[in-house]
Amino acid sequence: MLELRHIDLSYNRGTPNEVQLFEDFTLKVESGQFVSIVGSNGSGKTSLLNLLSGRFRPQKGEILIDGEDVTKQAEHLHYRSLSRVFQDPSAGTSPSLTLLQNLALAEHKGQRYGLRPGVSRERMDDYRSQLAAFGLGLENRLNDKVITLSGGQRQAVALLMATMTPIKILLLDEHTAALDPKTAEAIMQLTHQIIREKKLTALMVTHNLRYSLRYGDRILMMHGGKILLDANGEAKKVLQLDDLLSRFYAISIEAGNSI
Amino acid sequence: MEILLGILEQGLTYAFLALGLYFAYIILDFPDLTVDGSFPLGAAVSVSLSLAGLPPLLTLVAAALAGAAAGLCTGLIHVKLRVKDLLAGLIMQTALYTVNLMIAGRSNVPIFDRDTLFQNTRMDAFLPPSLQPLRVLIMMLPLVILIKLACDAFLSTQAGFLLKAAGDKPSLVCSLAHDPGMVKVGGLALANALVALSGACVAQEQRFFEISMGTGAMLMGLASVILGLKLLESFGRLRETTKVILGSVIYKAVIAFAITLGLPPNALKLLTALTFLVILVAGNGQMAAHFRRLFGLSKTCTESKTQKEAKDA
Amino acid sequence: MKNLKKSCALFVLFVLLCSCLGACAGGATGSGTSTSTNSAPAGNSDVASSADSTQTKSEKGVAAKTGPENAAPEADESKSANPEPGQKELHIGILQFAQHPSLDNCREGFLKGLAESGFVEGQNLTVDVQNAQADMGICGQIAAQFAGKKLDLICAIATPAAMSAYNAAQSKGIPVIYTAISDPVAAQLADSDKKPLGEVTGTSDRLPIKEQLSLIREVLPDAKNIGILFSTSEANSVSMLEVYKKLAPEYGFEIVDSGISSSSDIPLACDALLKKVDALSNLTDNTVVNSLPLILSKAKAKNIPVFGSEIEQVRLGCLASEGIEYISLGRQTGAMAAKILRGEAKASELPYEEIAEACLSVNLQAASDLGIKFSDELLARAVEKFTEISSANK
Repeated sequence: MLELRHIDLSYNRGTPNEVQLFEDFTLKVESGQFVSIVGSNGSGKTSLLNLLSGRFRPQKGEILIDGEDVTKQAEHLHYRSLSRVFQDPSAGTSPSLTLLQNLALAEHKGQRYGLRPGVSRERMDDYRSQLAAFGLGLENRLNDKVITLSGGQRQAVALLMATMTPIKILLLDEHTAALDPKTAEAIMQLTHQIIREKKLTALMVTHNLRYSLRYGDRILMMHGGKILLDANGEAKKVLQLDDLLSRFYAISIEAGNSI
Repeated sequence: MEILLGILEQGLTYAFLALGLYFAYIILDFPDLTVDGSFPLGAAVSVSLSLAGLPPLLTLVAAALAGAAAGLCTGLIHVKLRVKDLLAGLIMQTALYTVNLMIAGRSNVPIFDRDTLFQNTRMDAFLPPSLQPLRVLIMMLPLVILIKLACDAFLSTQAGFLLKAAGDKPSLVCSLAHDPGMVKVGGLALANALVALSGACVAQEQRFFEISMGTGAMLMGLASVILGLKLLESFGRLRETTKVILGSVIYKAVIAFAITLGLPPNALKLLTALTFLVILVAGNGQMAAHFRRLFGLSKTCTESKTQKEAKDA
Repeated sequence: MKNLKKSCALFVLFVLLCSCLGACAGGATGSGTSTSTNSAPAGNSDVASSADSTQTKSEKGVAAKTGPENAAPEADESKSANPEPGQKELHIGILQFAQHPSLDNCREGFLKGLAESGFVEGQNLTVDVQNAQADMGICGQIAAQFAGKKLDLICAIATPAAMSAYNAAQSKGIPVIYTAISDPVAAQLADSDKKPLGEVTGTSDRLPIKEQLSLIREVLPDAKNIGILFSTSEANSVSMLEVYKKLAPEYGFEIVDSGISSSSDIPLACDALLKKVDALSNLTDNTVVNSLPLILSKAKAKNIPVFGSEIEQVRLGCLASEGIEYISLGRQTGAMAAKILRGEAKASELPYEEIAEACLSVNLQAASDLGIKFSDELLARAVEKFTEISSANK
């Protein structure tokens, strides 16, 4: 279970440009739940992920993962039980290493990186079969540098790397936004499959309202650091694209008027 | 022959400097100015310990450790105190100036009367006279190969992968639940250990320490790295560490050429700068291909052709 | 356009590398390459490679241009004294550590000294002059290259150059002659009896500090503290400072020193020092001497006299100096080199020499600015009396 309790978060504190984003923000996500988060720019979706992954530290409040307070933990330690896939396909892989080396690196996530050989040949077949499941022809490119792969291929690799080790939480930060529609669809399918197979708690930020409806158990619509809509289970199933769109336009206009 | 030998000797003694900068600048993407201080640091440690009667090889080890400590400090200043990379290096470089003077005692310390790595009683007894002129080569070549192989081996370990990742994607290291800052600190320690090792080798070779010997070391190392990597770019089979070491030799060859040319002395640095610039600007794959064609390696022609075809398609 | 630029750059680099390879290959095979357009001078075994022969040629060209007005009068004289026309041409190298007026004077004096002894550049002597631009890496490389060329003698100017040259030449049996080293003993080039520790000897520019101190006492009978600025990085300065400190009590002085690490430290260090002292005395410290005009103006504002360490500094406005004149130091070195080249003595047999006698110079303009009057006896002793303060470097 993942919990944010009474979170306060503001940018540029102590300067005239101070912006209060979250004020007494609270959210609970059950283990194994797949949550889609939608909302306009600046609504706090990505900041929410940054809080969970330790990049931002709240000024007030606690963040609990399975009951453990991780609010003051160093950023990298958050990743022991958590993974994140970014919008930029190059962010999740090391471009100067080969595909094989990247996978070997990801496989030891959280462990000590010692002087053992970086890649072990025995694991090759396993990597190949995992890559073949993507259907992107990656299984034949194990020894190519990642920089030579396409954006979609890289994002698939990043997704695989993020979920190779036993983790509890997967954060997806508009991870299909930079891809062409066909590849985006494939990656989304794959994401869904992995989340279900590994029973991960997942938070997916997306601008694609159709994805948010089609995938996941719960949908959150955020605006100005607040949750405007929270539809879970049956409530989400009955939610239609048009409902969502009209809500979305309403807040956009509201935002436009308020400026 | 003599000149060629001289170039090779000089290139090899400075090879570790180039390797150090390869780690700092190419792998970690850290323009480390500490180098101008850690290079003479290695020399100071090696010379002082030689004076204290330690065997030369041991002084090299100590020098490398001192260099690692210097790199560690730069790294911590950068990572923990959040000082920009160039400034962190500059601070350490300045601090090391005093440290070096303190270690050596004076700004110029000779060890002409001591056994050095290259001139010692054991070697005199062991080497036949005909091989005496090659003594620097005989010591340096195995040492360089050994360290190069060690570097290669390290770079293919898990830690090596993590180091490479820390250089080109710090966020990836973070998502592997490791502190990218600390990986960087480790990498800088390694880089400066190599640089100090080079300083120690140079001091053992020239048989004295001089406080000003670090001036321009970073530029020299960087020029070697870039010369090696750019000029030998199309020699795909060579490992990058090999290219960097060859780059050091090539750099020394360019300088030797400039000296032999009898240019007005003031032009020497300008030539160095120009060569550096030319390599940086024009040094791309295409150029390396040109070179290979000029040297009559037919493989290049087909290779560049396929490249062209690939581009057209 | 882009291609043009690229090919230009390519061409430059290619020429560089090819010639370099050519030079190496030529040296390796030990014979001039057949395509070489300039034929190597025949009958000279010293000329090994085509690159070397080009070098020789260009050196000769330079010598022919500058030679006559420089060395011709002495040459005529010396030829009658040492008629050795049939001698084989000798090839020497000069390794100068940095560009600096004093060091340049050394080199000039060295060539003069050689010419006076019958070795005239361009006639029976080929001189390869290299300047390391204060870069230790280049210094070592030039030394190695000199050693590789089997020269007859290497002249090294300034301490790091001498050490590099000695290191490179030792195993090749090439004698090294040095100049402008303050402390050959500390550099392990000689033992405390001035005896060389190898085929290496020369002249020391150790300052005549006793004479300088007695001069200061003579001019300033009431002075107590003498301030000295020095660079912590210059070995010469550090060792000279020690001598100053040792000798000062004999003359009733106390030395107040201030170490700097770069020229940018000078203004503050100088201000602080001037508060504590009655006079400043200079070493031959390159960094400090290069900032002399600044130091002089600060000292003048406080009415504190500055004593120089060589004639050039007095020209620039120091009150007086019992110092070194680098041209004669170089000349003395040249004479020693000639002995070695003629085979009269081995370098290892010649103890290193110091400047024969201190040379007193005074600046009358500086004296009147400070309201100081020199005694007639002192003025009579002065080798050089400047009547104005020169604003520019020589």
